[in-house]
Amino acid sequence: METQPAKNNISSYIIQSQEEEIKRIALELHEGVGQTLYSLYTGMQFIEAAVNLPDLKGYVGDMGQMLEKTIQEIRLLAVELHPPTLATLGLLPAMKSYLKLYTSTYGITVDLQNEGVEVQISERESITLFRVCQEALANIARYADTMSASILFHWEPSQLLISIKDQGEGFDVDTAMKKSTGLAAMIERMCLINGTCKINSKIGEGTSIEITLPLY
Amino acid sequence: MEYKECSQAGNGQIDQACEKVLSELECDFVGLALQNTDGPDVRWHYAAGNSNEKYKRITVRYGKGIAGKVISTGRPMYLENFPEDISGKALEYPIMLAESLNFAYAVPIHFKGIPKGVLLIGNRTGQPINEGEQSTVRSAARRLEEKLSSLI
Repeated sequence: METQPAKNNISSYIIQSQEEEIKRIALELHEGVGQTLYSLYTGMQFIEAAVNLPDLKGYVGDMGQMLEKTIQEIRLLAVELHPPTLATLGLLPAMKSYLKLYTSTYGITVDLQNEGVEVQISERESITLFRVCQEALANIARYADTMSASILFHWEPSQLLISIKDQGEGFDVDTAMKKSTGLAAMIERMCLINGTCKINSKIGEGTSIEITLPLY
Repeated sequence: MEYKECSQAGNGQIDQACEKVLSELECDFVGLALQNTDGPDVRWHYAAGNSNEKYKRITVRYGKGIAGKVISTGRPMYLENFPEDISGKALEYPIMLAESLNFAYAVPIHFKGIPKGVLLIGNRTGQPINEGEQSTVRSAARRLEEKLSSLI
């Protein structure tokens, strides 16, 4: 799919701004709100140890437990918004971590295969690949009506190929492209990092999505 | 959390109770979710009329998904014409997606007065769950509460 330079720039700006904002909120939640709550939690533990009245001690203990749960919620929300492993450990570990969450949320098992050696790619490229994979997996959970799916990462010297397959219900690609902004966004996102996204599907036979990214 | 996992015999009794609700209401799906004993997460433990085994792998956080929301609020929840007429995204309702449900009604199951589980019934067709059926689910939930209390 070809896009005009101006449209390309606007799309790139919107997507990048959105990603930066998501990352900022995730960081603020983790490093700001999360840390403040942790300080409150340790303070609450200190008060609990100092209080002698049994009723009050129990009440403070309950509040401490509630704070602990909230801290965990904040941490998980931050990780869901922007996985920190993407920048620290790379695309593959981040995807492995996401797949664990995906299976435990939707009950769909995903077989992840890796061929070749992972090379370092820019943060912009890795977040784009991650988001496109996330969209493909979300579509499987929502429409495919299947128990399992697979993802293959194939690293070559000149390119990275990611293939996401399921043997679910499948769909008519032309009709879906007119209705779904999600599929168009996957193609658009890949175009913006000079990659490609090919969607193949047949009703009753499942779907295959191939994403490629040139490696320089 | 003070309750422990059910025994094998207990599991059988709960399964039977779910099957009974399924046949009584002639609905497509009945599921029972319980909060984990070692944390706030909620897992679907029993099902009847299930079209696959995905429910066994689904775990939602406290406050998330139908099960998590019903436990956190302690109030019933009715979803109709899923995924069109819902608040939020369809992806926030994993059990509806996993079992291809269009209508669902979920009620809390209390343990020592605190909501710790959820009984859900669902339809895959365009058949809404009327007030009479909702009342039957609430009664079934009370019976399940007694059964669970005696088992765990």
